[in-house]
Amino acid sequence: MAESLDKLHNRILSDAKLKAAGIVEQAEEKSKQILGEARAQAQRDADDILSRASLEAESIRRSILSSRIRANRLRILDEKNEIVQSILRTVEKSLSDIASSNQFDSTLKRFVAEAVEAVGTDNVVVKIGFRNADKKSLQSLGQSLPKGTKLLAEETAIDGLGGVVASDPEGKMIFNNSFRARLERLDNQLLTTISFAIFGE
Amino acid sequence: MSGIEAVRKIVETEARAKRIVEEAESRAQEILASASEQARNVRQASTAEAEQRKVQRLRETREKAEADARSSDVETDSLLENYKKLFENRKDAAAKKAVELILGG
Repeated sequence: MAESLDKLHNRILSDAKLKAAGIVEQAEEKSKQILGEARAQAQRDADDILSRASLEAESIRRSILSSRIRANRLRILDEKNEIVQSILRTVEKSLSDIASSNQFDSTLKRFVAEAVEAVGTDNVVVKIGFRNADKKSLQSLGQSLPKGTKLLAEETAIDGLGGVVASDPEGKMIFNNSFRARLERLDNQLLTTISFAIFGE
Repeated sequence: MSGIEAVRKIVETEARAKRIVEEAESRAQEILASASEQARNVRQASTAEAEQRKVQRLRETREKAEADARSSDVETDSLLENYKKLFENRKDAAAKKAVELILGG
């Protein structure tokens, strides 16, 4: 009986140890699984952070570059515009001083002829106004005008820079051939001419 | 050995066996708790490292973009300088052509 009791005693302990070993082993397996999953998840999280960082970096790079490039394009446009405006101021000065140049007589005749032709009626009224214009030039012009044309010499430069304005006697049809009007009519061509002369483009 | 003594011995053995299993369960809890702690640490360390790399990458990108932007500034400065020279050299000719256009156009 004592022998059977010892066997039972050993069997109970042996079963308990086996069960304990199983519990620990299972926990260790589960532990490995937890760590494995954690490492994989950590890698995914890190990849996600770095992937978003790449997008953010690209966005920052584009933002910095595009804003600087835009600012520099504006600087270039401002400078070009300033240069063109400076030339235009010189042009306006030259035009307003035309009465003092040897081109005045021929220019005046051409402007008047263009204006009279544009109005296209008889008895055209032509107003002429240039800064520092010589009366002689205006008188000599009168002789070359079509019959019936009325010539009016203004005391001041028409539209500020000088020029010619023709109209029918009723003033219904008017052709403004002042320098200011010609500058406006030829605006695009003028800018192209100046730009090409300065920048070659 | 009397019957009572035999029963007592079996009861003691059962109690010892129970303690062995309970100790194992306690050990298993410790192992799992430790694993959870390690898992948390692994993820925290990985995230912290990734965030650090992100900061570094963004800083490098910003520095590179600023350098590229500065080179655009230098290029523009040079272009503007060239425009000034062109203006000085060609302004009279440009004005003359513009005046001719207005007079003759």
